Amino acid sequence: MKKQSLRLLTSLSMILLFSGLTFAAGEEITQIKPGFKLVPAIIMIALLCVYIGVGFLSKVSSTSGYWVAGQGIGKLGNGAAIASDWMSAASFMGVAGLLYLKGWFGLGYIVGWTGGYVLLLCLIAAQIRRFGKYTIPEFLGDRYNSHGVRMIAASVTVIIAITYSTAQFKGIGLICGWIFGMDYTMSVFFAAAVVCLYMLISGMAGVTRNQQIQYVVLISAFLLPLWFLIKKAGGVGVLPQLEYGKILGDLMDGKTALGQLDANATEALRRDFLPWGHGDFYHFVALVFTLMVGTAGLPHIMIRFYTVKNEDTARKSVLWGLFFIGLLYWSSPVYAILGKFWNPAGGANVADVIILSAPETAELGTPFIGYLAAGALAAGLSTVAGLLVAGASAIAHDWYTTVLRPDCSDRQALQVGRMVTAILCIIVIFFALHPIALIAQIVAMAFALAGNTIFPVVVLGIWYSKSNKYGALAGMCFGLGMTLLAMFGWSAEIAAFGGEGLLPATSSALIVCPLAFLINIVVSNIMHDKLDEDSQIKGDNLLRKIHNLPETNDPGF
Amino acid sequence: MEPNERVHVNFFAPSTESMKAEVSVVRIVLAVWAFLSFGIPAVIWLAGLGDPSGLGQSFFTDDRSMLGFPLHYWLLAQGSTIGFVILCKIYCTLWDNLVVHLQNKRR
Repeated sequence: MKKQSLRLLTSLSMILLFSGLTFAAGEEITQIKPGFKLVPAIIMIALLCVYIGVGFLSKVSSTSGYWVAGQGIGKLGNGAAIASDWMSAASFMGVAGLLYLKGWFGLGYIVGWTGGYVLLLCLIAAQIRRFGKYTIPEFLGDRYNSHGVRMIAASVTVIIAITYSTAQFKGIGLICGWIFGMDYTMSVFFAAAVVCLYMLISGMAGVTRNQQIQYVVLISAFLLPLWFLIKKAGGVGVLPQLEYGKILGDLMDGKTALGQLDANATEALRRDFLPWGHGDFYHFVALVFTLMVGTAGLPHIMIRFYTVKNEDTARKSVLWGLFFIGLLYWSSPVYAILGKFWNPAGGANVADVIILSAPETAELGTPFIGYLAAGALAAGLSTVAGLLVAGASAIAHDWYTTVLRPDCSDRQALQVGRMVTAILCIIVIFFALHPIALIAQIVAMAFALAGNTIFPVVVLGIWYSKSNKYGALAGMCFGLGMTLLAMFGWSAEIAAFGGEGLLPATSSALIVCPLAFLINIVVSNIMHDKLDEDSQIKGDNLLRKIHNLPETNDPGF
Repeated sequence: MEPNERVHVNFFAPSTESMKAEVSVVRIVLAVWAFLSFGIPAVIWLAGLGDPSGLGQSFFTDDRSMLGFPLHYWLLAQGSTIGFVILCKIYCTLWDNLVVHLQNKRR
């Protein structure tokens, strides 16, 4: 029974995290205040007009402008774009709830999602920038000189883009419903119209500029209530992120806003905040590792490094991006702990509305509700836009202009790009309106999928010259296969793939990712003699470029 | 194609001077990264092995000297994540010192 409920909790929190307020959220939100809210609505509309206006002003006319913003974005700007690409509507609202439900164990998500950027920075970012083209499938396809590798990478990119965007639309729909009183269907169309409008007009340049504005909106909306809340909870109100420690310490002794709790309730709180109350050491490490390699392997995050001026900017923008992401993750636990302080025994329905109910709890007034909603909406829109660019570029650039029609003109390529973006948007709207269980499952597996399939082949592509297309294909197929196997095992409720199993589907990378590396290396070495000369030369040329090696072989090298 | 014309890139056996510099920076960063990500939870795990309830109560969970935080919570919620940001800064600085310096020298 306990096992089952734990499994339920794990799956629930994963889905909650990625799809926003799925469970009982509608009724909870409407409980806050139902119907159309004039002042918040005006604030939200004004901000939406800003996004579209910015998109219009950064109109592009070239393919590189559409896909990689003409490669002219600076380190702070790209850092903010990385951060707002990363922070989805769901992570804006969901991480605090997750920490509320899972206590100390939930910190694994924070460590995993920040630590992944270190991997990205030191193993991938600069080299990817030196390659200097548009997409990850393109990098892999060129490095291994194989359309097979290109196709698998492009497919994974598209799958992640579609499922992830769909999950965002759920959150966006709920926010629009909350502010405008629209029903879910209307909200989805409304949000889709906004995304499509500014993406089609502006391409990556508009998306990136908007992401910078959206970051400022979302982080300020997220942080501001904290000062009021911490004061209400008895803190000094100088730096809430450093002040909630005492409240947490008291919680572990059973002291809350309701007074000293009885022995059973105190024991429940201690279970939440002691290390292994919600999972053991192995599952913690597996979760952290999976989230890290997944973060470093997500195509829509990697694509960010193509948009910067040079590799120095690429490196420094990761530093800034991580700092900007850190601001959110240093603050999410404050919400979670204060939530426990006021409501120690709440379940998923309390966790869901921790952020959205914050302005009311902090007594910040109606306009701020609109601003917070605009922040959450900004988080959702920026993530969807980044994902759609990554997904559309995988189809339009890697499938159409590279494989199908290598001779098409720049103008045609841009047109196809716009068309594919629109088509992807329609597919996402369709799935958002007709949710199928498979989507939520793939979203929950997105990190395992990226970490098992994309991360090993990119790292070996950069750092191991002997790795060739045979090894790459074998490693990718293994990673993809194992992720799918774990996913179906998980949905069939096979214990080994559950939250407490040996190969938890959502944290499978600790075992699968190193094996994918190994298979790539072994197969590459076995097939070394079979590799054709063309692939060797192309791979070598690309490696020279990404490692700044001399064009010809000199004795000193 | 002659075998000696092939490019050799191997993370564990860097072939050129600039790649050696790059890899030495990356190794330092990865070592600290591994400690922050897995070393800290491992230490908390080891320290808590003595707790018969299996929840991992230890010195780390009882200590309140860090701004009133239970130390095990602070170490992950802020310690390692602040560490990651500093680590990125160190990476950029080391890179500028070692790799860029080397490139300038060559020119």
